[in-house]
Amino acid sequence: MSVPAYTGPLGRTWHYVFLGICCVVFFFLMAPIMVIVPLSFNIEPYFTFSEGMLRLDPDAFSFRWYKDVLGMCTQKATEAADAFVTSTKVQECGSGSNRGYEWAFAARNSILIAIFATLVAASLGTLAAVGLSRTHMPFRKPIMALLISPLIVPIIITAAGMFFFYSKVGLAYSHLGVVLAHAAIGTPYVVITVTATLVGFDETLIRASGSLGAKPLRTFFKVIMPLITPGVVSGALFAFITSFDEVVLIYFIADAGQKTIPIQMWSGLRQQISPSILAVATMLVAFSIVLLIAIELLRRRSERLRTSLPS
Amino acid sequence: MAKATQPIMIDGVPLKEQLARAERRKKYIALGMVLPLLLFIIITFAIPILSMLFRSVDNPRMVTIVPNLVAALDDWDAVDLPSEQVFEIAFHDLTAAKKAGHLGKVSTHLNYSLSGGRSLILKTKRKFKKIKSGPYREAMIKSDKRWGDVHTWAVIKKVSVPYTARFFLNAVDRDYDDTGNVIQKPEEYRIYVTLFLRTLWISLGVTLMTLLIGYPIAYLISTTPPKISNLLIIMVLLPFWTSLLVRTTSWIVLLQTQGVLNDIMVWLGIISEQERIQMIFNLRGTLIAMTQILLPFMVLPMYSVMKTIPLYELRASQSLGANPFITFFRIFWPRSIPGIGAGGLLVFVLSVGYYITPALVGGSKGQMISNQIAFHMKSSLNWGLAAAMGTILLVAVLILYWLYDKVVGIDKMKLG
Amino acid sequence: MDTNQAEAYVSFNEVQKSYDGENLVVKDLNLGVQRGEFMTMLGPSGSGKTTCLMMLAGFETATSGEIMLDGTAINDVPPWKRDIGIVFQNYALFPHMTVRENLAYPLEVRKTPKAEINERVDKALGMVQLEGFSGRRPGQLSGGQQQRVAVARALVFEPKLVLMDEPLGALDKQLREQMQYEIKHIHENLGVTVVYVTHDQSEALTMSNRVCVFDDGVVQQVAPPDVLYEQPENAFVAQFIGENNTFVGTVKEASNGYCVAEVQTGESLKALAINIAGPGTRTTLSLRPERVSINPEAGTCDNSVQGTVKELIYLGDHIRARLELCGQDQFIVKVPNAARHSHLTEGESVVVGWHSEDCRALDAPA
Repeated sequence: MSVPAYTGPLGRTWHYVFLGICCVVFFFLMAPIMVIVPLSFNIEPYFTFSEGMLRLDPDAFSFRWYKDVLGMCTQKATEAADAFVTSTKVQECGSGSNRGYEWAFAARNSILIAIFATLVAASLGTLAAVGLSRTHMPFRKPIMALLISPLIVPIIITAAGMFFFYSKVGLAYSHLGVVLAHAAIGTPYVVITVTATLVGFDETLIRASGSLGAKPLRTFFKVIMPLITPGVVSGALFAFITSFDEVVLIYFIADAGQKTIPIQMWSGLRQQISPSILAVATMLVAFSIVLLIAIELLRRRSERLRTSLPS
Repeated sequence: MAKATQPIMIDGVPLKEQLARAERRKKYIALGMVLPLLLFIIITFAIPILSMLFRSVDNPRMVTIVPNLVAALDDWDAVDLPSEQVFEIAFHDLTAAKKAGHLGKVSTHLNYSLSGGRSLILKTKRKFKKIKSGPYREAMIKSDKRWGDVHTWAVIKKVSVPYTARFFLNAVDRDYDDTGNVIQKPEEYRIYVTLFLRTLWISLGVTLMTLLIGYPIAYLISTTPPKISNLLIIMVLLPFWTSLLVRTTSWIVLLQTQGVLNDIMVWLGIISEQERIQMIFNLRGTLIAMTQILLPFMVLPMYSVMKTIPLYELRASQSLGANPFITFFRIFWPRSIPGIGAGGLLVFVLSVGYYITPALVGGSKGQMISNQIAFHMKSSLNWGLAAAMGTILLVAVLILYWLYDKVVGIDKMKLG
Repeated sequence: MDTNQAEAYVSFNEVQKSYDGENLVVKDLNLGVQRGEFMTMLGPSGSGKTTCLMMLAGFETATSGEIMLDGTAINDVPPWKRDIGIVFQNYALFPHMTVRENLAYPLEVRKTPKAEINERVDKALGMVQLEGFSGRRPGQLSGGQQQRVAVARALVFEPKLVLMDEPLGALDKQLREQMQYEIKHIHENLGVTVVYVTHDQSEALTMSNRVCVFDDGVVQQVAPPDVLYEQPENAFVAQFIGENNTFVGTVKEASNGYCVAEVQTGESLKALAINIAGPGTRTTLSLRPERVSINPEAGTCDNSVQGTVKELIYLGDHIRARLELCGQDQFIVKVPNAARHSHLTEGESVVVGWHSEDCRALDAPA
């Protein structure tokens, strides 16, 4: 944004004030995320910059919290897999000095639960979005409202409801229960993104494919799927991160056997806060940057495809 | 288009009917694709919530454990002490409950409305053993003189109805008195109305703050060339994609008394070592953290509306003699209001039900209604009250959701 | 209307189409297209021409009647088995495939050997002069280039028939005219049968062997462009194709293929009797502006009327004059820009004459 030559001093001043305000807001957005990155390398067990760090003294930095989280658990990680089913054993191990073990176990749970929840959400959500986008869909509005509602209903209400219901039907304290719960709150994202992709879908492409000799099934896989895939994948990534970041449902309907990274952080934050949380947080930030880049690339691809047609 | 002189028939069936059939078939196909998810959401999400809401009026405990006593008290006028007959039924029901091991449940249930109710009931375990035969009235009063108090019986009668509005009354700091009138609770017990109001104020405050600081950057992003604006959008999206717990952790690290911000201020000499400011674990902490966490939800809808405002309209305005300020207020601002509506409603809906952030950085003054619901679910185990508060919260959210649909349209909801 | 329908390559036999069971968008269509012919369906929007095309392509089902292609009824053949190439209005190029992949698509689904696919795609690209663009995606091409890819894709699998649905609508005027010639030349070189839909009459006249004029779901006339222009069979066609002067009158007498009609202001005009019901009925008299002479030499024209010049517009090669005569103030005359006529001035009173065989008495206005 540059100022045109004819701008007066008042306009010019205001322009720079405005840019200044924007910088402050962006700083407010980014600073809290960025500040934990250097702090996670603090050799001291404090949550602030030591003098050594400010002098950029290499001795003030260390990987000790990362080692705490990752390093010591390489052998134990395999054991964690064995202990996976028996939550009692896990608690025994976790209560010991070996914190890395707990994180490895939590990471494994987090990833497994998120992957399965995403698979359920993405497949059901895509199918439903394709159905909702058909011109003949009856009751579109109320159904859409219901399908999107897990996004809107306060998580505590969802958690409370699931707590009672899942206990009654025997799904509480199980991986299956958590997967189903996470899939339920992840589907709105898939429905929204795939529906949005289908809004721009050009129906004549289907006709064109037919006229060129392709049968409907081939048309679906060669023409429709490639064009809606960006929407499906970005919806799936949203569902994945939703599950990966979710605390409250697990806190209500699961126990130590389904402990995930966020739950581990949650209890860490509520009890004694350890600097290894910062190491985990930094790794999660890196992870979200990767996901964000993936989403952005997908968005651009789908935009490119969409704008390539004369309207 | 000309009218056909008579209904068009194909193989003896009116075309209209055939078309309707084809239409119906297409409807079923579309519905069939939606059905799996619809059933999934109904079973895993909607039914659990509805059945939870039912708990807010459901009061089955007394009716199932001491059914005869409940029936007997139904006819009692709640003015004089119950008759010997009622005492006898009470004795037998409570003894039966003790044998079935349900006495604890009765005591807990009574304790919500009658202080000391737990001990009164649990005492019967020992005391009732001594009572071999009637008259039970005197024997029971002898075992504990509270049995001779009309108030005790009135409370038992009150908590025994199968369906009750009591939890809802409790949720708004009210209760029934012994004669069934709705009264306000004693001053020191009135906490929930304040909490609801505080939740409302926090949500409004967060909405306004996100609007205030989100509007300029949404404007900036929508008016800069794509190369820069793409980078800026990523900066808005990154917090959106970063774990909520990570961001909450960061705020604790930044704002706590031994945290980064206080350290910097001490180092710069703005405050002395003793004057470190308590910026977190209070209302301020909740407001600051929630504003930052919900900002992307405000910026993105505003941005998606602003980028549809065509540049040529602004140029037209300037060519017609309006300076950039007038152009902004007469053209850009009114055209951006739908975005403000969309973002504002979304942020408000999300903040009303916020739980994690207040729980971690809110201290005691920064708690919201969700935290109280969690407390009743997990700690006090007063599920009826939790359900009643949840129902009120859910109704509020659904009204906002409905409003969002009217103003923005659910199908226009976008992510990033 | 079409005498050769029995031997036609493509034919519609008593085809009707209704979308809602009450209103007919296409009424009793009988039409034949010869092998190798370039047939254009011309008509205003909503006249049913695109519906006909979509029925032929198989995306709409005829409510009744039969559609034949190369001797077999294709009503029940799905689109992908019809072997009909289509150029869509918005081209419908697959945005996720390159130009080459787009062109290879119809060959791949037909399981053509790889080497042959390459060869045929290259040939098709050469035909539309896009040799260097095979690796690009549609989004990286200009509108004209996308158009050419669409044409090449519709032709590459050597379909029995090519349909084009207003393919040039999205292009600017100059490019449109250039593409008209290109498509015409491709048609001439390949000898493929083309059914082309447009609402642009000059496009129809430029490109077609025959034009089929549609209005209100009914074929108004099927004829080669020159016949259509010179000998319209009804008032709609006369009005829709080219510029036209009309008078509304009542038939006084009819004989020997000619008739005399009396117009509103009392003048009697002689015209060819083309489409009239008989004496006493109303008729529309149609006359092309370029067939009218101003101040003709006495005795050369068998119709002559007094008129007043209302407006003159200079158009280079000719002057367009608007006259008032016979109670009609929109009477247009094209005066060649020759020295003899340059003295016309606005407000001047002139004699206007024409030959009765240039004036056609058609059906009465609705």
